[in-house]
Amino acid sequence: MKEKISALMDGDLALEDAEYLMTALKTNGEAAKSWDAYHLIGDVMRGSNVLTPGMTSRVMQEIAKQPVVIAPKARLLRNTTNLWSMAASVAAIFFVSLVIMHQQTQEAKNAPIEIAQNVPSEYLLAHQSMSPSNTAYFIQSASFIQDK
Amino acid sequence: MLNRMLLIRGLFCIITLFASNAFAGQDDPWLMLQKASQAARELSYKGVFVYQSGNASKSVQLTHMNYGQGEYARMVVLDGQPREVLSQGSDVAIYSPKNEKIMIEKKRGQNMFPALLPSNISALKSSYQAKNSGTERIGGRDAFVINLSPRDQMRYGYKFWLDKEYGLLLKTMTVSDHGDGLEQIAFSQLTLMDDQSMDWFKPKFDPSKSYEMDQDGPAKATDSDMDWDVAQLPTGYRKVDQVKQPLQGKSGLMTQMIFSDGLASISVFIEPIVKGVRPKVGHAVVGATHFYGLVADNHQIMVVGEVPENAVMQFANTVNFKDKK
Repeated sequence: MKEKISALMDGDLALEDAEYLMTALKTNGEAAKSWDAYHLIGDVMRGSNVLTPGMTSRVMQEIAKQPVVIAPKARLLRNTTNLWSMAASVAAIFFVSLVIMHQQTQEAKNAPIEIAQNVPSEYLLAHQSMSPSNTAYFIQSASFIQDK
Repeated sequence: MLNRMLLIRGLFCIITLFASNAFAGQDDPWLMLQKASQAARELSYKGVFVYQSGNASKSVQLTHMNYGQGEYARMVVLDGQPREVLSQGSDVAIYSPKNEKIMIEKKRGQNMFPALLPSNISALKSSYQAKNSGTERIGGRDAFVINLSPRDQMRYGYKFWLDKEYGLLLKTMTVSDHGDGLEQIAFSQLTLMDDQSMDWFKPKFDPSKSYEMDQDGPAKATDSDMDWDVAQLPTGYRKVDQVKQPLQGKSGLMTQMIFSDGLASISVFIEPIVKGVRPKVGHAVVGATHFYGLVADNHQIMVVGEVPENAVMQFANTVNFKDKK
């Protein structure tokens, strides 16, 4: 049976010939577990991080069984202090940059646009439409207006 | 001896004055421009003219008729987006296809080529100097050339080619202070009409398409709408119109004043600065049109005109906000 499951997974067994196997997988707990286990082995061999659902719950159970260490060792304490100060500086940098970024976006929102790079064609049309002598408006000749 | 020399010089001056007066009727460039202004409105003609500004250029077919019952004209833009303009007297309708519809924009008449010159030519004399500069051939017709040079830096110069026979404006060019042509309109072909049929006076668009009136557009503004003015208008300029329109999607009004010296025109736009909208500042130029934007008194000021950079800057900098009561 297990050999058949393995063959099916590797594609060595045609799906048409494996109808009874599929039924077994659905009903038989033993066959289903093998299916899960083989897939897990395959995943690990391929270096994939995808773990089967059964595996996950077992790992969580194992972790729960471990005793919780409340007092860290002295040597570790020194490291943690360093870590804390590092964390504090990282947080400070993050905070400062956040403030700067916020200011910049605020400024960008209100910063004037140089019209040399961005000709305000909406004003041009309004001007041409109203000025007493203007053939251009009737022809709509300005090429950049057509792009709008 | 010296006295006699002065006397001879004086006599010579008087003789030249007489001579120039005798020819004034034919050669006075101002009179020729006045005639061109009338001819463009009173004659019946058809032809094709080409408009060039910067890199853009378009051909336009023009038919103009006036047999004493008022002016009728039709302009068909031949290049790019189809567009037609029909005008009767001072009523103008612009037809342009938009998606599956034909949009119709109705508006007040403007001076269109070749009727670009104002009816009252003498109003230009305070801003420009006119000079005859020979003859040239334009669109198969002989033309007198007249140079209009600006008296200050608040406007461009213009060059006009006038038909020798009919006086009609055949070509116009806007000239920078360096003498470069910035924009020009010229007939490539022109004939006078003697046919009184009005068959041509209708738009030639697909009749199966639906027509829609374009409702957008500014409304006339009263003096109370304007909480600003331009403190010192340069010589020759006067305010010709003022309009207002609501800011798109926001509260507040955009007001616009239009100034003209008879040929050059400048628009000044003012709107309150709305939070989240970036004001537009600085200088830009497209063809003969200059733009100048700045922020003052929490308002966006934008000046646009077919005038030199100096002029748009001066208008923008002399905007004066009235005290709010």
